[in-house]
Formats: sequence, structure tokens, C-alpha cells
Amino acid sequence: MKLKSSYDFYLILATTLVLSAISLISIYGMFYFKFVQIQQMAPPLKIMFMNRMNAIVAPFIICLILLLGICVPKRLLPTAWLNRITAILLTCVVVTGFLYGVKASLFFILAASLVLQSIVLVMALAGSRNLHFHKKGYWVRFGSSLIHLGLIIFILDLFFYENKTVHLLLFWVTTGASILGMLFCFYAESVVNLIAGRQPASNESIT
Amino acid sequence: MGSGLQGLLPIKLFSQGGGILLAALLVLSSGITVSTCVNLYCRKPAWQEATGVLLASINLLFILGFLWICWFHWQIYAKLPLELPENLSGWVNSQLEIINSNSDYGMPLYNPADPPRYRIPPWIENEKYYFWFMCYALMALLVHFRLQAHRFRAVLHLFLAVQVAVLFWGVDPFNRPLPQFFSEITPLYGAGPSLMQQAGYFMRIYPKMIFYYNAEYMWFHPPLLFISYGSITIMFITSVFMLIKRDLETEKIGYGYAKLGFFMLTVGMLLGYPWALKAWGPNWWWDPKICSSLMMWAVFSTYLHTRLYANKKSMWYFTAFLGIICFLAMIFTFLTSFYFPGEHTFQ
Repeated sequence: MKLKSSYDFYLILATTLVLSAISLISIYGMFYFKFVQIQQMAPPLKIMFMNRMNAIVAPFIICLILLLGICVPKRLLPTAWLNRITAILLTCVVVTGFLYGVKASLFFILAASLVLQSIVLVMALAGSRNLHFHKKGYWVRFGSSLIHLGLIIFILDLFFYENKTVHLLLFWVTTGASILGMLFCFYAESVVNLIAGRQPASNESIT
Repeated sequence: MGSGLQGLLPIKLFSQGGGILLAALLVLSSGITVSTCVNLYCRKPAWQEATGVLLASINLLFILGFLWICWFHWQIYAKLPLELPENLSGWVNSQLEIINSNSDYGMPLYNPADPPRYRIPPWIENEKYYFWFMCYALMALLVHFRLQAHRFRAVLHLFLAVQVAVLFWGVDPFNRPLPQFFSEITPLYGAGPSLMQQAGYFMRIYPKMIFYYNAEYMWFHPPLLFISYGSITIMFITSVFMLIKRDLETEKIGYGYAKLGFFMLTVGMLLGYPWALKAWGPNWWWDPKICSSLMMWAVFSTYLHTRLYANKKSMWYFTAFLGIICFLAMIFTFLTSFYFPGEHTFQ
């Protein structure tokens, strides 16, 4: 159990590092935009800039989704199996990236995460006790699953950028999942406790 | 501002009424500043009840001022239709049809019987600061009654006093209301432009009316972000106090506002996405403001993740540190519009 907890902890730290790297890339993009005066360039040059920035950030997005890909089965599997699944996912991502490029690699990890996260969501909805969440509480688990599903669909949606109908449809699915997820995760438990006249659940407290 | 507009709208009355309100706000916040200094200096709490009354009064004035701004916007809606001479409507509509045929998102045709009107939300130009600071004032009032620690309260009040001072001396929304908006529409209401000039002005300002001032997203995207900014400010203050003392109640309040802030920020950013597609087309990704917003969201997500482990001593301080970084990222993101070019620029 201790190992499980430290696994979670290191995953959180890794997520922090990846998010920090994405932040730094964003800051780099801002200053580059200003000093090269991208806004005054012709549309093809602007698109070149966007593609270049996409290429820079893509490995970190893959890492983020990979971490999410590990986080998701973490909720389903014991640690030994988790390590195996992580190794398989990692190998598949590297092989796909090597054979078909970064985009295909990102698509693969997104698709895998989407399938796993959907399973977690259904299990959370069914109130399964086999799920391992850091936080307790039915609504918190359900909400957290929805938020992560929303994030996966949002990044997946960027693949359908040129197909406006699908792109916008998936975007609204993402928005709906994120809003509902945050509402359930942040507030539903408090509302349930308030109605039932109970003290706030322990998941709200860090102790 | 053109004399034509002065005659159409009660601009002078709005400025005078707003000026009185803002002066009253400044007087009350001066009182709170004195209380802040005393409470920061003394070991024992002082004038806590009086400060609570002052804080409630400041909130009341903020709300009155906000209603005053809403009333002024209603006047713009009622008295400032975008009217054209009847013989121009045919030509204008033919131009709009050409534009619509080449665009994914069309503009409604001009109807002389029901000319388009401005439905401007009360959080554009300098009014956005007013709305943002009003949200903070409301949150500060709620936190004031939840947490008794006098030094914490003092810092909470200090931030409010600074915001009122910024409003009064820097970004007064009443003194020169909506300068950008009025500078755009003044030529149309000026003294006798020719028919072709009127048509030209109309074709210039009508798209901005549809895709900016009257955009439905305008009612959600900016206010959600400003509510989030208010929450992040509260989170910042709690984070600073978390660095000084490991007090669970302070952390709990900070986390409550972090949740609200993250919720508002995420929904606000998401709702900006379809608006940007509609108003700017596809080529705005990696715009500096988008980059800085992404950066801020990433920092905020990191904060919420590390907070799960704040029961460890090192993570407690790291979470508090991230709360402070998140506030700095918010200030940086806001100032981005002034320094960086791009679609969101105020330059």
C-alpha cells in the first residue's frame, strides 16, 4: 500500500514537471511571437510558426497523456500489473513514434487512454470498489473520471481540426464533460453532505 | 466624444453619478487602509466590527456602481440604434450578402424597420476592472466573516484598498466611459457625413458589433475569467499565510477558492475557443495571450495536483509556493495584452 502511495506521489511530481515544461514552452512562444512579429507575417508563415510550436510541444503533450495513460489504469490495476501495462504502453508509443511519427504516437496513446478512461468512468458510475482513487467519495471519483476524459477528448479533438462539424461537436462534448466533472468533483459531495446534514467528507481535508 | 453622442446619451449624468460613487468608495477604503495598518502592526485585533461594516458598505457601493453601469448600457441599447438612411440599406445588404457567401459565420442583414442595437456587457474596457474588483470585494467579505485571524483579514483588506485606488486613479470607468467604443462609433453620429461615408462607417463597425460587442460569448468568457482572477487573489493571500504558518483553516479557505477559480478559469477558457473560431478564423493558435493562458492553466492544474499531498510538510510549502506562482502567472497573463501583439492585444 505504501508503494502504491509513493507511485501516486511520483506520478504527481512527473505531471508537475511536464506541466512546468509546457508552461515554459508557452512563455517561449509568446516572446518569439513578439520579437519576430508573427502577427505581421503572411498566413503561410503564420501557419509555419504554429506548426513549429506544435512540433515543440507535442513530445510534452505525449508525456502528459502517457502519464494520464498510466494514471488511468492505476485506478484499475494492482501495482505489479500497472508496471507491466506502463511498460507496454511506453513501448508501443516509442515504436509507433519511430515507425509512423509523433502524430501517430500521440494518436495511439490518446486512443488507448480514451478506452481505459471510459472503462474507469463506467466503473466509477457503477460505484465499483475495485477502483483505486486517492480521493474517496462516489461523486468525487465520478467527477474526476469525467474531467480526465474531457482532457483526453479535448486533445483528441485537435486531430479533427479541419473537419469543423466533428471538431465542434467533440469540443462541446469536452466542455460538457469538464463542466460536469468539475461540478461533481468539487461541489456534489458538499451538496450531498449539506442535504444529509453530515460533516464535510474527509476528502475535502488534507489531513 | 462627439456632441451628437452627448445629446443622445446621458453621458454627463453617468460620469457625475459614477464619480460620486467612486469617491465614496475611496473614502471607505481609506478607512479600511487605516484599520489594515493598525491590525498588521498590533498583536491583538482592533476595530474588527467596524471594519466588517466598512467592508459591507464597500460591497454595497460596488453593487450600486455596477447597476449604474448596467443602466448606462441600457441607455446605449435604447438610444443608439445603428441606423442608416433608407436608400443605403439595399446597398449595405448586397455587400453583407457577398461577405456572408465567403464566410463560415455570416452577419444578419440590415433591417431598416428594426435596426441593429448594441447589447454591450458591463465588463468591457475599463469596466472590466470594476467587475473584477467587485468580484474580489464580494469574496473578501465572505472570507472576512469566515476567518477571524486579524492579520489575514488585514492583508485581505489591503488588497481591496489597492484595487479601489487603482480604479479611482488609473482605470475609472465613469470619468471617460467606453473610450474605445465611442471613438469607433463617433464618426457615424458626427455632423453630416455623406451617404457613402455613412455606408463605409457602417461596414467598418457592424462586424465588430456582431462578433465582439453583441457576441453571446461576451456574456460568459470575460466574466468567468474575472471571477477566477478574484478567486486566485484570495488563493494567493492564503498561500502566503500558508508559508508563514501551517494553519489548516487557512488552507481550506484557499482550496475552496482555488476550486472556484479553476472551475471558472477552465469554463471561461473553453468558451473562448468557439468564439475565437467564429471571430478570428483558424489562425490564432499560439497567440501570446493563448500561450500565457495555457501557462496559467498548467500552473493552476499543478497546484491542484500537489495539493492532494499537502499533508506532507514539503508538499505543503510547495503547494503554497505554487499558489503564489499561480497569482503571478495571472498578473503576467493579464499584462500580456498590454505588451504582446496578437488578437487579444490592448496595444
